[in-house]
Amino acid sequence: MMSAFNKAAEQPGILPIVTYSAANTRVTIGSSLTQAVTEIWATREVIWRLFVRDFTQQFRQKLLGYLWMVIGPMVNAAGFVFLYVAGILKPGDMVIPYPVFVLFGTYLWGMMTGVLTVVSGSLHAQGELITRTNIPKIALALTGMGNFAFALATNLVVLLGIMIYIGFPPSWLVLLFPLLMVPLMALGVGLGLILAVIGVMARDMTTLATAAFNLLMLVTPVVYVGKVDSPALQRLMEYNPLSYLIDVPRTLVMTGVLPHPLAYAATSALAIVMLVLGVYAFYVIQDKVAERL
Amino acid sequence: MKRSDWAIRATGLSKKFSMDLRQSMLYGLKDSLQRLTTRQTSTGTLRQGEFWALKDVSFELARGESLGIMGVNGSGKTTLLRILTGVFPPDAGEVSLQGRVGSLIAAGAGFAPMLTGRENIYVNGSLMGMTKKEIDDRLKAILEFSGVGAFVDCPAKHYSSGMLVRLGFAVAAMSEPDILLVDEVLAVGDLNFQKKCYDYLHRLKAKGTSIILVSHSIGAVWAICDQGLFLHQGEVKRFGSVEDVIRAYDDQNAVLLQPASQSHEVRAGHADQLSRQNSAGPTAGTGDAYIKNVRVCSLAGDDTARDALEFHESFALEADLEVLTKLDEPIFRFTIDAAHYRFIASVDSYEQNFRLDELKPGRYCLRVEVPDQNLMPGAYTVNVNVCKKGFGNHLFIWNGAARFQVKTPQHRLLYSEPNAVMFLEAKFRLR
Repeated sequence: MMSAFNKAAEQPGILPIVTYSAANTRVTIGSSLTQAVTEIWATREVIWRLFVRDFTQQFRQKLLGYLWMVIGPMVNAAGFVFLYVAGILKPGDMVIPYPVFVLFGTYLWGMMTGVLTVVSGSLHAQGELITRTNIPKIALALTGMGNFAFALATNLVVLLGIMIYIGFPPSWLVLLFPLLMVPLMALGVGLGLILAVIGVMARDMTTLATAAFNLLMLVTPVVYVGKVDSPALQRLMEYNPLSYLIDVPRTLVMTGVLPHPLAYAATSALAIVMLVLGVYAFYVIQDKVAERL
Repeated sequence: MKRSDWAIRATGLSKKFSMDLRQSMLYGLKDSLQRLTTRQTSTGTLRQGEFWALKDVSFELARGESLGIMGVNGSGKTTLLRILTGVFPPDAGEVSLQGRVGSLIAAGAGFAPMLTGRENIYVNGSLMGMTKKEIDDRLKAILEFSGVGAFVDCPAKHYSSGMLVRLGFAVAAMSEPDILLVDEVLAVGDLNFQKKCYDYLHRLKAKGTSIILVSHSIGAVWAICDQGLFLHQGEVKRFGSVEDVIRAYDDQNAVLLQPASQSHEVRAGHADQLSRQNSAGPTAGTGDAYIKNVRVCSLAGDDTARDALEFHESFALEADLEVLTKLDEPIFRFTIDAAHYRFIASVDSYEQNFRLDELKPGRYCLRVEVPDQNLMPGAYTVNVNVCKKGFGNHLFIWNGAARFQVKTPQHRLLYSEPNAVMFLEAKFRLR
């Protein structure tokens, strides 16, 4: 199906033609990627409007308004800081103070699962627009990310503030952080896109995936160091690509040391492949979505 | 047609749906898997539990012409409109639209209750494909048209539902598309706003916009459209000039309508175990007389039983009468029910001065001729009574004894009032 949302090259006198047909236009990996880029570019204004709408909508009629962006992560962090100050959390002889370790770990993990949840639920959330307009679905799938990215940025500022407060400022490599986020985000978006189209057909797919990720978190060094007693578990953790995607950026930013460079490069490449596959699957299946919403 | 001459071209458009959700899910998953692996699926055939919501729909609309899509509920109108909007991909066939397409399905889409009217205009406008500049330029016209006025900077959640609809319509209308898809929305808003909408649609039309109107209101379609497309159970029953299509649609409705007598209980009388040759309706009576087999015949033609009469065609009602005990001063009465009303006419032998002192037992053929009838096109039901002067109740009653249809006339378009049952021949004058 051809996209109708081309603000077509409007030459005077010649009207744009859109065609909707059942003829199976072959979607290839390449064509899906170009189409995604074209459609996102063509609808940038819509995406922006929807982002502004959701963003404003979120903070209207609230006493503290935009302050809420900072309050959430602050309260979250305060809990860990309290435990640390009260001496309940024993940081032990870790290089990184435990609260910072946990905060950073959960931040990275939350980034990936958060983006996965936002993207996979996006078509449902924008169901009204899918059944009433012909805005490309990829654009709708990504509008929710604007808000999420904003939350991520504010949380990061809060996180860095806490690190400095504790007396453990990050290394200058923190400037690389946006780059280090790319593989995690790519993985989240890729999986999210697949779940988004499948999830419209089978509604419990996203729940299923979320449950699976909760289990996966146990074999990923998010809240504890990558050293456990059980050898089987240890091996599982080593083979788990997420271990590297979480642990490497954290260690790098905090200590300036890059552990497992090869494994990190490989898992990052895997994450990008996942994104490409996600876009492809999204375009192959998206026709089936509207009538099942 | 040359490229510049047509607005919409549809060939063999079909769309199928599943009867049940679970099956729809399973087919969806199966198709997806198939497409991911082999890159093809068979969409052109039905599988178990699927049905065609739209089947092989083809039409071509010239640029600037407007099309009315008519049909009863479930005939596929909305599905067709959604395909034209680009919401549903067709399962077979294809459709091309030339020019910028606006859709009133999208009117008010994306409205957020916490945002002000002004902010919502920008959101909705961009969803309709307008740029910020285009919206800036039209903002005044949109506000004026919608009549939202002073409330433009109030949150939309304080708007009445009418205001929201008007605002949505205003944005859609001001986008000045080459093709405008309209779905029943003209039925909303107060009378003045409706008039404004019609005026605006006519202005758009005059500027060359093709308007596609989906409606079951004959009046609305007739007011706007040049061409008509009559859908029935997903298939095109008729495509042609709007007047032809309105006639076809009207006739179809007459056939489909349940006559009023069907939905009512037969009033008095004990049930009678009469053997019914024509088991069309319930009968009851004292057992003194029976009527079997009521027929509607045309007076003009060969006098055979008919189930449809032309508009204004004279007719006769015939009934086989069997009298078992001698009847003093019998009275025969035919009454007629229309689709929505009972007893719209009564033809009574006493009233018509057909008086009998008595009727001996035996078999008779009862016939009453109606040389001049002015029934509106539609479906009618005949009830028959046998009574007797001096007896307050009936001796025999048969509701729904026969049914007939009055066809839509070819020389006259009757669009004004679908509930009317009688046509009065009249002369208009203006002084």
